[in-house]
Amino acid sequence: MDIISFDKITKDYKTGFRKKKTALKDFSLDIVEGEVFGFLGPNGAGKSTAIKILLNLIFPTAGKAEILGKDVGDKGIRKFVGYLPENPYFYDYLNPVELLKFAGKTSGMDSFKIKERTEELLNTVGLWNERKRAIRSYSKGMVQRTGLALALIHDPKVVILDEPMTGLDPIGRRQVIDLILKLKSEGKTVFFSSHILEDIERVCDRIGILVNGVLRRVIDFKNEQLIKSLEDTFIEEVDKAGGLQ
Amino acid sequence: MTAVWSVALITFKEGIKNRVIFGIFIIALLLFAATTVVITLFMRDIVKVAVDLSLSTVSFAGLLTLLFIGVNLFGKDLDKRTIYMVISRPISRSEYLLGKFLGIVLLALTVVVFLGLMSAVPVILSKRFYYYSEARFDWMIYFIAVIYIFIKLAVVSAVITLFASFTSNSFIALVLSLVTYIIGQSTEGVKLLMASKVEKIDVSPALSYMAEIAYYVFPNISAFDLKTQAAHGLSIGPSYIIWTSLYAVFYIVIALSIGVLAFRRREFP
Repeated sequence: MDIISFDKITKDYKTGFRKKKTALKDFSLDIVEGEVFGFLGPNGAGKSTAIKILLNLIFPTAGKAEILGKDVGDKGIRKFVGYLPENPYFYDYLNPVELLKFAGKTSGMDSFKIKERTEELLNTVGLWNERKRAIRSYSKGMVQRTGLALALIHDPKVVILDEPMTGLDPIGRRQVIDLILKLKSEGKTVFFSSHILEDIERVCDRIGILVNGVLRRVIDFKNEQLIKSLEDTFIEEVDKAGGLQ
Repeated sequence: MTAVWSVALITFKEGIKNRVIFGIFIIALLLFAATTVVITLFMRDIVKVAVDLSLSTVSFAGLLTLLFIGVNLFGKDLDKRTIYMVISRPISRSEYLLGKFLGIVLLALTVVVFLGLMSAVPVILSKRFYYYSEARFDWMIYFIAVIYIFIKLAVVSAVITLFASFTSNSFIALVLSLVTYIIGQSTEGVKLLMASKVEKIDVSPALSYMAEIAYYVFPNISAFDLKTQAAHGLSIGPSYIIWTSLYAVFYIVIALSIGVLAFRRREFP
């Protein structure tokens, strides 16, 4: 069953009067249940645009996106989706417990379950001892880890992470990798973008290479043996696309 | 409703923990203290001066709260994209906007309740400075005036919500809200002045028409100002209470409806 489906998505941004920039062009992709899919592409390739369309933060100019067989405009499906934005920013004066309570409540969880999951997740991301501190006093890595806990509080079926390794030190990166592997073992579907090829190669079942808004190639690690390294393959695809535009 | 209430609560918590609110409370308490000192300089109408200054302080502090914290609560969400965390949940854009409005109104309510009670102190003291009683003062009318400050702030909150729904940054929303407040305070006066047909003042029909439009478009903020009634102990008729309350509800509903319509199609790239 397709858990995530992009069907011929095009997204144009207005950049001025009568001027537009196409961030995604005729983009189609299906991600199946239990799959870990890595989204690879240079800066400005359209990765975040695709992710934001999935979360209904922006609307496609053409095409249709679905999660769990339902249009992404249906707010009900977001009960089953966990999302970590790129460079997340949360409420300055609140602490992670208050944020997680909000996230749990709005996802339909009861107070007992929220408390239980909060303790479990804050321990997993290493913030339990810092839980009473306001977010404004957190380092970038701690904010990122709070974001991860927020994405997972309601035990979602689909986890969408936009550059989850950004701002993390090697230990933090390792934690994220372990977390993705854990989600995979639990049968969750994970869709994430990253620049760190080594990490992508380690955890993904498939990857998609996006350049200038066009999905250039999808590599299935189960059925496909790369002749060149992932880095070389990636650079080759960028070159084939005529470099960055 | 859970979604709206959850957004309202988190907005309120973020606002009440903001350090700026402590600054506003301190300014208000200093102004109450200053009122207590200033009224001793007056020979007569001491209670009237105390009532006027105390109510002005509550209103001023409430307005500061809305303009500096309320606008910012929207601004940060939109400028720094905290909104991603909210609307990536099962929360629609309309629920987000209404929750945000409700959170800001709760903040205004807290400020008005706390400072409204504190504002009674200078008035009580003023009543004790002189032995004669100023028969026309009535606590009931005083607290109706305090409630009207809250109603006014709720209307201003709706205006802020409306501007935040379509402006691209918080500074523009702040300027537009402030301008609306200033215009809203004077539209009734301008309309009355024009209607009075004072000799020697020749008002062009176009200007008169514009004043008429402004009167209906901008909120009539002066309708919620009951300082004079409270200071002089003038009774407030039930019809005034009903009509101004209905006007406030109507204005809030219209402003929020337009805001929701604009916000529904808004993108957050």
